[in-house]
Amino acid sequence: MVNNRYKKLDIAARQLETAVSMFFKGQDRFSVITLAGAASGILTQLVINAGKQPFVDYARLYHNELFGSTPSRQKYNRHINDRFGINALKHHAAADTSTVEVAEDDAAESAITRAMVDYIELRGQREPFVVTFLNWMWVSRDGRKMMDQYETLPKKIKRLKK
Amino acid sequence: VNTHSKLHIATSQLRSAVFLFVSDQDRISAITLAGAADVILSRLLLNEGKENFSDHLMKKDAETTGIVPERGAHGRAVNNMLMINALKHMDPGDDDYVEMDLFVSALATVSKAVANYVGVAGDDADFVEALKLWARIHVPKGLDEHGDPR
Repeated sequence: MVNNRYKKLDIAARQLETAVSMFFKGQDRFSVITLAGAASGILTQLVINAGKQPFVDYARLYHNELFGSTPSRQKYNRHINDRFGINALKHHAAADTSTVEVAEDDAAESAITRAMVDYIELRGQREPFVVTFLNWMWVSRDGRKMMDQYETLPKKIKRLKK
Repeated sequence: VNTHSKLHIATSQLRSAVFLFVSDQDRISAITLAGAADVILSRLLLNEGKENFSDHLMKKDAETTGIVPERGAHGRAVNNMLMINALKHMDPGDDDYVEMDLFVSALATVSKAVANYVGVAGDDADFVEALKLWARIHVPKGLDEHGDPR
């Protein structure tokens, strides 16, 4: 056996890069979701360790603005993973049904986006797979229109911090 | 929203895992994908009243120790040994690094999931053949106790 040391951030990066590559090649969406979800499972904690705000915490604060309560990080993390289909693709309990319902194209995009937000907090947005995904989003989601809509949001929503 | 069978989901992920492994493109992702597929496949076998790969390992443990391990604890121990959890999760206080033999962990995780897949669906799939061909070339006599090809 040859044991090597791997940095957790590099492990997350590798999985996210493969997820993005498979996404653009039109390959299996379930694999994309699982890989981006695994990257997020590491990146969330690394962003917290760096003293920054992970995607899930921004989402919790946004929930508070909308509904007046802040769910726990663990609970909201599970909620997001359920929404993106991440949990159903890697779990199967005895009582679970033999089928799942998931909009896999949307879920794959969402799962990558979530992981990418946290990855950028740690390593910026200069690596080719990051730039390519951001460019794809800008073009396919009409980035200019999205930013115009973003600018109309109340300041406190745009800059939600603990 | 589309409806997908769990078998289809597991098969799709395992297929990606095998090709990432045999091409040496990304063995970290191969572990994560094979690990996810294996959870589903292991349960599908049990639901069919069949034994899965973990059952075989548990029996071997019992032959050595005289104690049949609890299924959940045994599964977690195997997953930890193969580093499946460390590649998809990080808790507060966890080390920033993991130490592992990536080749051995990836080969073991992919092989375990493929063995369970064959138990559920047979061995006709292209990725099953791909792994068999890879093994005939790279580990024709299996691995020794140190995890090196014999």
